[in-house]
Amino acid sequence: MAAAVRRVLRASRGWSAALRAPEAPRAQTLRLICTTTAVQKRNIAASGPEKYTEAFIKNQIEEFNLGKRHLANMMGEDPETFTQEDVDKAIAYLFPSGLFEKRARPIMKHPTEIFPKQRAIQWGEDHRPFHFLFYTGKQSFYSLMHDIYGKLLDIQKYQDHLRGQGLLAENRKQINLIGSRWLIKEELEEMLVEKLSDHDYSMCIQLLERLVTLPCCGIEEEYVLKFRKELAIQLKKVVIEPLQYDDQGVAFSTGEGKRKTSRASAVVYDNGSGKITVNGVDYLCYFPVMQDREQLMFPFQFLDRLGKHDMVCTVSGGGRSSQAGAIRLASARALCSFITENEVEFMRQAGLLTADPRIRERKKPGQEGARRKFTWKKR
Amino acid sequence: MLRSVKGVICQGPKLDSGYFLHASARAWLSAAVNQDAQIPAEKPRAVFRTNESNPANHAEQHEGQHYSIPLQEVKVVFPHGLPYRFQMQMKTFNESCLMVRKPALELLGYLKSTNLAHPAIRYVIYGEKGTGKTMTLCHAIHYCAKQDWLVLHIPDAHVWVKNCRELMQSSYNKERFDQPLEASTWLKNFKTSNDHFLKEIKTQQTYMWSKRESTEKGRPLGEVVEQGLTRVKNASDAVGVVLKELKQQCPLGAFRLLVAVDGINALWGQTTLRKKDKSAVSPEELTLVHNLRKMVVNDWNGGAIVTTLSQTGSLFKPRSAYLPHELLGKEGFDTLDPFIPIRVSNYSQREFESCYQYYLDRKWLQHDRARTEEGRKELLFLSNSNPWQLERISAYL
Repeated sequence: MAAAVRRVLRASRGWSAALRAPEAPRAQTLRLICTTTAVQKRNIAASGPEKYTEAFIKNQIEEFNLGKRHLANMMGEDPETFTQEDVDKAIAYLFPSGLFEKRARPIMKHPTEIFPKQRAIQWGEDHRPFHFLFYTGKQSFYSLMHDIYGKLLDIQKYQDHLRGQGLLAENRKQINLIGSRWLIKEELEEMLVEKLSDHDYSMCIQLLERLVTLPCCGIEEEYVLKFRKELAIQLKKVVIEPLQYDDQGVAFSTGEGKRKTSRASAVVYDNGSGKITVNGVDYLCYFPVMQDREQLMFPFQFLDRLGKHDMVCTVSGGGRSSQAGAIRLASARALCSFITENEVEFMRQAGLLTADPRIRERKKPGQEGARRKFTWKKR
Repeated sequence: MLRSVKGVICQGPKLDSGYFLHASARAWLSAAVNQDAQIPAEKPRAVFRTNESNPANHAEQHEGQHYSIPLQEVKVVFPHGLPYRFQMQMKTFNESCLMVRKPALELLGYLKSTNLAHPAIRYVIYGEKGTGKTMTLCHAIHYCAKQDWLVLHIPDAHVWVKNCRELMQSSYNKERFDQPLEASTWLKNFKTSNDHFLKEIKTQQTYMWSKRESTEKGRPLGEVVEQGLTRVKNASDAVGVVLKELKQQCPLGAFRLLVAVDGINALWGQTTLRKKDKSAVSPEELTLVHNLRKMVVNDWNGGAIVTTLSQTGSLFKPRSAYLPHELLGKEGFDTLDPFIPIRVSNYSQREFESCYQYYLDRKWLQHDRARTEEGRKELLFLSNSNPWQLERISAYL
């Protein structure tokens, strides 16, 4: 009986091995002995999630490392200190590509970044699952919840212990959560290699929040920070130019702006009366349309400085609307020198200091325009 | 001395241009009452208005203020000639108010001091689009009408060189072309404005209109006009006759003649009219234009010629052109030379304030924000103190 079972087992293992190496005749004869349809079915299900076996991935990693060394040799660099950045640069040099989509260009990265993370087969030779929560269907998720709750109980025990000793007041260790955020649902799914529902995700986050509220949660800080992601600090790239003074002692400031294909540069003078000259012509003559003049007015009106500044600007390229937008950006940037930091922040939030990134979309072949398709004829 | 006194009194309001009204409206009102030296009606008139409705008495102190013309007078003096938008505004507000501005005051000063013995001086009012050239002309016409001049007002010379539906060959001169419709319209309006003169002025020669119709020598000019109106075919020739008679008789001193032409650059530009064989008609081939050109030459005395340049109705001229030599061309400039140029520009601070207050008073600016200081600054910026632009923007609010 046991021998028969062993034979069956050898058959199943051999069968799946036969998928990869069909030339093993011994496996074939073994299969014919026992009923293997159920086993077959289970094997197909098992081979579903695992498209790349561990051995395959290991192979890929070895090949990648070898390839890296070869590449370093080719480029004349030292193979020991060849970083991933150098690899990228070398590939970009050896295989120049004009494709617009960055992800379609040739890449050489570590196999763990290329092949998607997948789950290894969850059960062993005896078809018993490894994990004790396998039959819940979402084993990683429930095990995670279980772990977190375990940590919570640990912290509470620790707190009780301290309270018993009377040292609770001094030993409060809180986790610093500023500057980071909880992982979003997609990131958590990626971490667990398992699909989650919104409800599951919210449960998980609530539990973590509850953990964080405890006074002594500092002991599990490392574990909790695994679920936090650092927020990118907004780099203050905006450098505000100081005011310049011309011959008469009038303060002025310059700014550049662009929109679509227009490029504008503006010089804003202080102690003015609201006169604006565009390319040597009065702005009323240059922009007969009111919409464009409203665009010019926007930065000054926002800062409540309508009649206080003069402006001389030059603009080229584009159409009337994009020229107006370019001048608006240029004048807003020039005005930054005259105002306080807070007002600069207000302007930035109003969108006056951001260059509009929209440009004309390219026409695609097989279509009449960027989006418009040719007339569809039924026959 | 009086002038310097007036200047001293005028110092006060001119200090903080644009803000004085908001600062001390009451003080200014009382000052205005003193300045005008006229006891106002029961309620105090606002600062942007003046009671002085005779243009002869308009002076620097009235600058920036609106004066109203009674509607009856408007019908007589301006049967044609006021800008279309102004006419609509007149209908809406039920009154016609003109602003007294510096170029107009200058022109009135010159007209007041015209020497009737000297040849007629030509004044050319020019400026950018929408700055008030036609309104200045109308102000001068009103003054002359009040002073009992004979006003020969051609509201828009461009109308005569484009969009003519009936172009007939002239019976008088085979090479020229007649425009019966335009001529008859003009004659009708001319009759409305100068009725009393037409009875007094007599023709100095006989005119044969056709085999059976003629006007004898010594008949009042009104008959010629009637002839033109009834026999539309002869309307253009009637116009020519009227112009010739007036030019001949004006130096005799019976009346003073004001020739007011709006858009005089049409006379020397190009036309959009075509002959039967699709070749272009040049302006001198049109009877009306030909006769008007003779009128504008300064070989007569006893009056004045006031003209405006206009790019708006002009043909084949770029939008940015506003200077005399650009719009008139070489030929026109040489014909009109020498002339006195009068430049009209956008509103000054004071004038803008006055116009803004007028619109507020007439409840034309309905938007809540228009009444605030920011709204006012916005209007100032968006219109750049251009009268035409300001009027158009206010119409939306």
